[in-house]
Amino acid sequence: MKFATIRMLAGAMLMLALAMPIANAKIFRVNVVGDPAQMDPITLSEIVAGRILRNVYEGFTATTEDGRNAPALALSWEPLATGPGFRFHLRPGVKFHSGRPFGAKDVKYTMEELLRPGAKGGLGASHLGSITGAKAFKDGAAPTIEGIKIVDDLTIDIAFTKQDVLFPIYPIFFMDSGIVAELGADWMAKASAGTGPYKFRQWRRGVSVDLDANPTYWGGAPKIEGVSFLIVPNGDTALSQYDAGELDFVDVYAGSIRRVLRDDRYAKDLIRVPRAQAVYMGMNQNLYAPFKDIKVREAVSLSIDRQAMIRGLYGNAAFMLNGAVTPGMPGETIGLPAPKFDPARAKALLAEAGFPDGKGLPPIDIASTEASKDELTYYADQLKRVLGMPVSVKVVERATFIRGMNAGEVAFFPWGWTMDYPDAATYLQDMWYSTSPYNRPRWKNIEYDALIDAALITADDSKRFALYHKAEKILVDDFGMVPLPITASVGLRKPNVRNVTLTPFGFSTFDRIEID
Amino acid sequence: MLAFILRRIASLIPVLAVALLVTFAAIHALPGDPVQVMLSDHSADKEMAARLRAEYGLDRPLPAQFVAYLGEIASGRFGLSFRYVHQPVADVLRDGLAISPLLAVAALAMALLIGIPAGVYAAIRRNRWQDTLLILLLVAGLSIPNFAVATFLVYALSVKLAALPVAGWGTWRQAILPVLVLAIPAGAYLARLTRTFMLEVLGQDFIRTARAKGLGPRLVIWRHAFRNTLLPLATSAGVIFGGLLSHTVVVETIFNIPGLGRLAIDSIFARDYPVAMAVVLLFVLFYAGINLLVDLFYLVIDPRVREGMGA
Repeated sequence: MKFATIRMLAGAMLMLALAMPIANAKIFRVNVVGDPAQMDPITLSEIVAGRILRNVYEGFTATTEDGRNAPALALSWEPLATGPGFRFHLRPGVKFHSGRPFGAKDVKYTMEELLRPGAKGGLGASHLGSITGAKAFKDGAAPTIEGIKIVDDLTIDIAFTKQDVLFPIYPIFFMDSGIVAELGADWMAKASAGTGPYKFRQWRRGVSVDLDANPTYWGGAPKIEGVSFLIVPNGDTALSQYDAGELDFVDVYAGSIRRVLRDDRYAKDLIRVPRAQAVYMGMNQNLYAPFKDIKVREAVSLSIDRQAMIRGLYGNAAFMLNGAVTPGMPGETIGLPAPKFDPARAKALLAEAGFPDGKGLPPIDIASTEASKDELTYYADQLKRVLGMPVSVKVVERATFIRGMNAGEVAFFPWGWTMDYPDAATYLQDMWYSTSPYNRPRWKNIEYDALIDAALITADDSKRFALYHKAEKILVDDFGMVPLPITASVGLRKPNVRNVTLTPFGFSTFDRIEID
Repeated sequence: MLAFILRRIASLIPVLAVALLVTFAAIHALPGDPVQVMLSDHSADKEMAARLRAEYGLDRPLPAQFVAYLGEIASGRFGLSFRYVHQPVADVLRDGLAISPLLAVAALAMALLIGIPAGVYAAIRRNRWQDTLLILLLVAGLSIPNFAVATFLVYALSVKLAALPVAGWGTWRQAILPVLVLAIPAGAYLARLTRTFMLEVLGQDFIRTARAKGLGPRLVIWRHAFRNTLLPLATSAGVIFGGLLSHTVVVETIFNIPGLGRLAIDSIFARDYPVAMAVVLLFVLFYAGINLLVDLFYLVIDPRVREGMGA
């Protein structure tokens, strides 16, 4: 009897298992490395949540696949007549996922939520500092933000304490001001409050975040039924799921990139783009006197064989970076020459600087985190062999290292800066302006600062970009920014999937995806 | 009986206290500032840093933090996650809480269903070809590491034959491979144990007596011989269950199952120590719970233990 029961049970289990449906309808399935840290646009502060939410929420503008900033929820804007600031004309006829219309009140509401005293405003909050009265509101000294004025349902004025021409492109996602009244403070577990092409369906922690198409999207209803972000922390598992047809697109994690590039099966599905992360060799002139001499800085740059690194160290999953701005970024200088590898000239320059064969150079550590250990070893070895520079490798715990760099206490380090908003200023201002805390090598040039100051009050793109180009030339010619190879984002896309790709800024938006 | 259970639970307290102190001390001895990691590229934002430090209580002295952490455990929140900023650890754990024990229970059930009959059968057919074949299979099942078995099964059944999903969680089909991978070594081990215990019992006098008095082979084997292997088997099953629970770490990672095991690995790599600590504590609790269950099971199956309790 016992065996009969067991047999029956086993049989029933197997039948159940095989009876489950295998494929479902037109859902675009893509992997993300972990659960999003949050699912609302106010506390948004990390990359997985950002990837998901940019299909659910929208800002004044959106970055197109070819790296332009195009109007989204704002149709147009013009400078305020009364002082620094903008008047935004909002897109008419836009509806939130709830069905409520989008308007000026929602823009005001979102900005207040981001800055609300005691609230947990994430990265969006850091872009609002220049609004008049932002600080008073944040400190609880004012009931509203003085600089934000609703003109009518679709017009809003935002005044600044100092001009901020990049304001329209900052990634601030607008949310439905009526959602809390409708669904309560934990609305984000039940619904989404955006205007984007997809709306929230469910978040199964550790499994997936599922979105449904928004049939009333102002840009046209998506042609697929929804999107599933499958949470797959392991890169090899993601590849197996792609092989088995459980993923339509796989974002290949760093640890699996070599395997994918070597496997011919993947060649036709492969997408490879440079990341929007400016990687450089930081040389702090205050901490290591020889770096004060431009010849020494140039010699360091000339000693590095970047092409060999791209082939050997990165297995071709990397790109040359020629200047301070990554490829595809609005405002980049097109046609900058690639940094050279010239050991003979490097040696000669070092001798001219008074350090023939490295003699007389004080010992120095080249430092970074565990993740960059291979690069560090290469640089130290190369500098020793080419220049005779007494370099030792130092690996530092990440948080300690970042704190040290921010304090200007690290002399010599390779590091990268990931873009924050789609404009060259994300690098030129944040990394190299003399007073920016993220100017980690503490490079300083008065003329450069003046050009950036001028650029940041120039709303016209082409005029502003011309100023960027001048500034970038100063920075690169002075070997302040010594560019290093930037790693690639690698993805695989099934042949039956169209209109989705990887861009330097992450995924393209999913609103036009088609699955055959 | 109740006193026995209470005594056992009381004896857990020092174990948990030590586990708590050691994990807390270990985590705070590690280099690195979690707030800096949370801020990432915005590391120079002093205002946000101060706000986070206050929210996480990291601006307080270490003993005060420990006391606060005890309070967090008592309230069931287990503090705030570093990786999922602002979120209580309990929220991060909640959905995965049952998954690892569930996998282990399912695998144990499968291992028992396969292993025990196989072991009994091998014992009955001792030294015949069936026994030899089974032993060969058992050695293979025991000695091939489970990640290798998993990789092979995924390749053969999922990628090549497309019969079962590669990974994920939520449907029956997705549970089959992970349970199987967990159950194979456990089943092999149980079969080997059962065979050994059975052979020992089958050689004893009372079995000969049972046979002599004319009982059929089925009754002799199942009622007389097998029953006597239950006690050592129960002890082993408890140990095996503990092993299965720790193997879920590997299996959940391979099959991408959002249980505590994968969470433990992910949180350690992401330096999300509050989550890692909570997982360690929960694993300690699970182990302790299993041991308690095994002890209670003795009471049920062995009259000698029941009688000895009064003393």
